[in-house]
Amino acid sequence: MSDVTMTPTSPSNGASNRTSPLQWVRVNLFSSVSNTIQTIVFTAITLGLLRALLGQAFSEEADWTSVSTNLRLLMIYNYPADQIIRIWVSAAVVLLAAGLSLGAWKVEPGYTVGRLGRHLVGLGLFSLVTRLLLPVHAPDTVRTWLIIIGVVSLVAGVVVQRGDPDGDRVMGFGTVLSGVALTFLAVLWLVPFGQYGLVDGVLVAESGTTVASSTKVPWTVLLIIVVASHRVGIILGRALGRSLRAALAAFWVVGPAFVIFVILRDPAFDWAHVWSTDIPIAAMFGLGGAAVLYFVAAPGKTEVARAVGAMLFAFALFNWVAAFFGWYPMLQKVRISFLIFAIVVLLVPAFAGDRSTRRRVAGGWVAAMVVFHWLLTAINTESTLVITAPPFLGGFVLTVGIAYYVMLASFPLGVLLSLARTSKLPIFRVMSTGYIEVIRGVPLITVLFFFSIMLPLFLPKGMGISDLAAVFAGYTVFSAAYMAENVRGGLQSVRRGQYEAADALGLTTVQRTSLIVLPQALRVSIPNLVGQAIAVFKETSLIAIVGGFDLLRIANSTIPNQPDFLGQKRPGLLFISLVYFVFAYSMSKSSQRLEARLKDAQAR
Amino acid sequence: MSIADQALTEDLASRDDMIVCTGVSKWFDDFQALKGVDVTVKDREVMVVLGPSGSGKSTLIRCINRLEVHQEGSIFVDGIELTNDTRNIERIRSEVGMVFQQFNLFPHLSVIDNVTLAPVWVRKKSKVEAEQKAIELLERVGIPEQAQKYPGQLSGGQQQRVAIARSLAMEPKIMLFDEPTSALDPEMIAEVLDVMKDLARGGMTMMVVTHEMGFAREVADRLVFMESGEVVEVGTPEHFFTNPREDRTKLFLSQIL
Amino acid sequence: MSQTSSSSAIHYGTTKPPLWRNVAVLKWCAQLAVLLGVLAVFWFLIAEARTNLAAKSIPVGYDWLDNPANFQLGEGIQTVDTPERSLTMSRALWVGMVNTLRIAALGIIFSTLLGVLVGISRLSKNFVAQRFSSAYVEGLRNIPVLVQIILWLAILGSLGKLTPDTGPIPGWVIVSQKGISLPRVFLADGFYQFAALMLVFVVGIVAVRRQLKRRQDRDGGDLRIGLWTFVLFVISAAIAWLINPIMAFLGPIFGAIEDAWGAVPQGAMQLLLCVIAVVGVITWIRKFLDSKRSPAGLAKLTDDDWFRMIFSVFVGVVAVFVVVRGWPGLSSWIINSGSDFWGVLGDKFGDGRGAKPLDAMRPTLTEGRFVNFGDTGLTLTVFYASIFLGLVFYTSAFIAEVVRGGILAVPSGQSEAAAALGLTRAQALRKVVLPQAFRVIMPPLGNQYLNITKNTSLGIAVGFSEIVQVGQTVYNKNSQTLAVFSIYMIFYLSCSLSISSVVNTINRRLAIVER
Ligand SMILES: Nc1ncnc2c1ncn2[C@@H]1O[C@H](COP(=O)(O)OP(=O)(O)OP(=O)(O)O)[C@@H](O)[C@H]1O
Ligand SMILES: [Mg+2]
Repeated sequence: MSDVTMTPTSPSNGASNRTSPLQWVRVNLFSSVSNTIQTIVFTAITLGLLRALLGQAFSEEADWTSVSTNLRLLMIYNYPADQIIRIWVSAAVVLLAAGLSLGAWKVEPGYTVGRLGRHLVGLGLFSLVTRLLLPVHAPDTVRTWLIIIGVVSLVAGVVVQRGDPDGDRVMGFGTVLSGVALTFLAVLWLVPFGQYGLVDGVLVAESGTTVASSTKVPWTVLLIIVVASHRVGIILGRALGRSLRAALAAFWVVGPAFVIFVILRDPAFDWAHVWSTDIPIAAMFGLGGAAVLYFVAAPGKTEVARAVGAMLFAFALFNWVAAFFGWYPMLQKVRISFLIFAIVVLLVPAFAGDRSTRRRVAGGWVAAMVVFHWLLTAINTESTLVITAPPFLGGFVLTVGIAYYVMLASFPLGVLLSLARTSKLPIFRVMSTGYIEVIRGVPLITVLFFFSIMLPLFLPKGMGISDLAAVFAGYTVFSAAYMAENVRGGLQSVRRGQYEAADALGLTTVQRTSLIVLPQALRVSIPNLVGQAIAVFKETSLIAIVGGFDLLRIANSTIPNQPDFLGQKRPGLLFISLVYFVFAYSMSKSSQRLEARLKDAQAR
Repeated sequence: MSIADQALTEDLASRDDMIVCTGVSKWFDDFQALKGVDVTVKDREVMVVLGPSGSGKSTLIRCINRLEVHQEGSIFVDGIELTNDTRNIERIRSEVGMVFQQFNLFPHLSVIDNVTLAPVWVRKKSKVEAEQKAIELLERVGIPEQAQKYPGQLSGGQQQRVAIARSLAMEPKIMLFDEPTSALDPEMIAEVLDVMKDLARGGMTMMVVTHEMGFAREVADRLVFMESGEVVEVGTPEHFFTNPREDRTKLFLSQIL
Repeated sequence: MSQTSSSSAIHYGTTKPPLWRNVAVLKWCAQLAVLLGVLAVFWFLIAEARTNLAAKSIPVGYDWLDNPANFQLGEGIQTVDTPERSLTMSRALWVGMVNTLRIAALGIIFSTLLGVLVGISRLSKNFVAQRFSSAYVEGLRNIPVLVQIILWLAILGSLGKLTPDTGPIPGWVIVSQKGISLPRVFLADGFYQFAALMLVFVVGIVAVRRQLKRRQDRDGGDLRIGLWTFVLFVISAAIAWLINPIMAFLGPIFGAIEDAWGAVPQGAMQLLLCVIAVVGVITWIRKFLDSKRSPAGLAKLTDDDWFRMIFSVFVGVVAVFVVVRGWPGLSSWIINSGSDFWGVLGDKFGDGRGAKPLDAMRPTLTEGRFVNFGDTGLTLTVFYASIFLGLVFYTSAFIAEVVRGGILAVPSGQSEAAAALGLTRAQALRKVVLPQAFRVIMPPLGNQYLNITKNTSLGIAVGFSEIVQVGQTVYNKNSQTLAVFSIYMIFYLSCSLSISSVVNTINRRLAIVER
């Protein structure tokens, strides 16, 4: 029932288990004249549209080998073929963390056997109808496969429904995951994907070497990793609980950057430089900073910390001024580190405490500095990769990577903006309102153009920014405004009494915001934030316009320019539509479930 | 002699001042909610504030821990003046506990976390120490077994008792209560009032806005009657309930009793 | 005054805290510091951009707007230089804006129609209708709109070639690779005269209506006000059609205003702007103080209040400085554009006898292309069509969700009550549920309209000449990126503002109706 609209008028789908199919048809399709008319009209529209879509997919010119041959291009663009193991390792790292997280947070799909049965029957019927509507140009293999899929899933669906007549047995996530993995594997091993191989970036027509054959084994390993790590996550989650979840959360912040810049980009470290400059700088900030923080995190040092922080902040800002005027040289990362350090010192009095708290603050700082400096060094080091067409990231990886990091980076910015917008301080409010409304008033594409064209103009000499980084910055600035509005909705739902209770207990503004207000506000905004994540994911397609090689650009201009597939746009575009759809749809479905779960939690 | 002084018994007069409000005025834009209020609360005194709706009772006690900012006059709490000085505000807030009509527990934190939050983050106690103290306090208000639950899972009376424990965890010298029982079902009022009586017996300085006349008669050392932002009459319960001086007080009491 | 107990030795009186611990001071210092920081960053960036532009010897400013464009536009109200009117840069940008608005307006209408249909059918009892509309919504909203637009372009590009006898109905309705063309009605020379005349008539009709209404209220009975209004309207339209040239006298008047406006000296405009700024600040402070004033007198002002007033004075001073010293060009720009506005308006009038308000034409072809604009058919180029279809389908999915949500937000008791009164389901929907749902629907619907307007900018991906695409062509030619981006911003912000103010007005109306 829950997969249908929760309307008072929705038909009772669950009834299909109890009533006979004929009865069900009569009640739901032909109960009255208007109902019958609706059935006829909408069936006609549905079939007509499906036929039209199939006509586009299997038109006379359409050549689907343009997609199956270019799967690798679509996934990872021009990543060097001899280094492809790096891709697999990265995927393994990410999927491992994903499996562990799913287990550690005990994510449950809320999928019942009954629904599986219904979905299978639906898929079976859909395949068979599609088979009937196929245009004449469709390849015979498609016809055969549609029949096979149709019959198999129909039978499976009926069997599943028989096996669980009530249809309300809940399937665990492990089961669902394994099921999906097994299906995927079966497809991988059974269907002969591709007819060409990509050797050193060149298309080679070599019978027998298919793209899929080189990916069967790695994919199998990856799927095993997911399923296994999910189980491990459950077990570890029971034993370690909070600390495992904290570690995983930390991974999700820095892990992907690590994967991209260290594993995928393979920096060629200049070890002499690392030992003479990078490590000393990191050590200085890490250890020196830890000492200062340990000192100011003691109770009663509030005003000292504030004074020290303000001085450090002034100094950090002065470094930037000096950079603009070229007064004295300083490594960029030193400037950034000073700034971060100053902000942390300003914030730390709010989280001061006893000895163990101080140790945790200092230790956390050291760890953060190590990771931060390592990543900065890695990003600033030349890559060892030899890449034929410049951006080393492209295709699906780029789409997902940009979407993920735009969300991640715009989150703190958006939270700050929303806090400023709801603040009582008029200047903050006006500034952030201005920012939010201006950005939300203009289209994304102008912001992206602005950043990719204008940013280089605004930077002083000697500072450069790569195209992709500029686009990323623009996208983040854009997304932050929307993020701010979503969080503001949550902030407004926090009652005034919460602020008052926190004030009455003597919490400082920083403590009140971070311990009381934001946790409640963010929980309320989660559904909207997921909605925004979906929007960000979809709109990464605009990167194609400003020069990135994302899915859309590859499908729309790279593939149709290959000599073998001149002008083959429609199959590629349809394929990426499907990719976008699968991801966006599953995100929106899981957000709906999350929303329902949060409602339950509130009602508790 | 001011009306405030007339009511002081000898015992009270000899004690230290805990809260001293002198000529406190407060405007909400063009509406004046407090009109030169003079009130003194002595050490270990229980003062009950009475008055019709909108008379400024809440505004007055909210001024005392600076949830509202007064614009004229002065407020001293335990010898510290409430001004724009951040240090004074911090000190006063950690000395004054407040209990609200709507409980205002933090719904995303468990009961024990609600109670330990301020000791850990404001008083900088260790988590273990704070938890011990919290359990003790929860026992004192009679709900040690609810420590791990979330506020949403408790009844109103239990929530209000947690709120009291949360305030007490800061070891305040003064407790302010703003109609602590008004949002409760009748059968839960007693359990909260019992806790408050206990506190009063323990020697806590308390300022209580309430419409519970039984409580006022039994526990209060003095009562203050306010109307439209002014203190009309101050006196002992005996004085109040037998022969109040002002007509307005008489009218109010006749309506409420 | 009271002389409270004397047992303790406290000094009563207000002590002033030191500045660095004063809450009000700290708050304002933090705000001013951030404000100055942000201004400083902007200043640095602009200074840097200036140097960089100077190094490339690109002038800063808007003087280039009057230069000839030297490029062709894909489509629009003017695509090339014509003898009557040269295609300047500003004209080209204007054409782009009109194209954007055309798409947006049409998109808004069609996606609303489609969205409402789908949204309602998603609530239907019929299984097929419901499943179809769910699939429609989920399918369309989860595929990026840009992908959909490009897919439409690919699909439309695969249609047949354009020849003189292409069509379903050659010469009348043509569907081809190059687009779809139909006969159309368009505004002719006399239209603005006609419209001005109609305005006069409508004022008269409204007066008559009011009079009738008053009489009806007084004497009772049914005076058929609606019918009379309609008849009067039709009659005046017919008259206006015939005698529209009498309004030609407006042309010279507007011309005179144009000249007068253009003759305003820059100093006067600067003075005016300064006066506006000063008066604005004074009014704000007056209002602010009034809000603190009661019959009992002025409330005591807090430090915060003082800071607010000082800051508003500061803003006023900055504004005056900007007008006088910082950006004198602003005043001349206001003068010039004001005078241009009246000039353009003046050109619309002055047509003599026989000027027709409207005219109609069939599609025309030259050299295997549609004739794009002028006295020809209504042509939907493939570029236009692809972005239009993409936007309409994509947005209609969202609108369907908005509509569904709005209908579900109406308590079921309402439709039950309607049923109890004997209304049919359709009647209940139209008379009871939809009017209430409308209030919930309006704000998010307005949001979707804003989205459509902004998403028209995706036309750049298919080469449709909307404002962003034209602007890009402009700055690729003359490197005036900064100026073009400022035009983008102003254009889109005014679109957003107008749409949201319309939505807000409607919302306010609805809220009043509710009471
Ligand atoms: N934030 C505010 N803004 C404007 N006016 C306020 C505000 N808070 C209180 N007031 C006004 O100040 C007056 C005093 O309010 P207060 O809450 O102190 O009354 P009260 O005596 O506590 O009443 P009750 O018994 O109903 O709680 C009321 O008239 C109220 O309308
Ligand atoms: Mg009150």
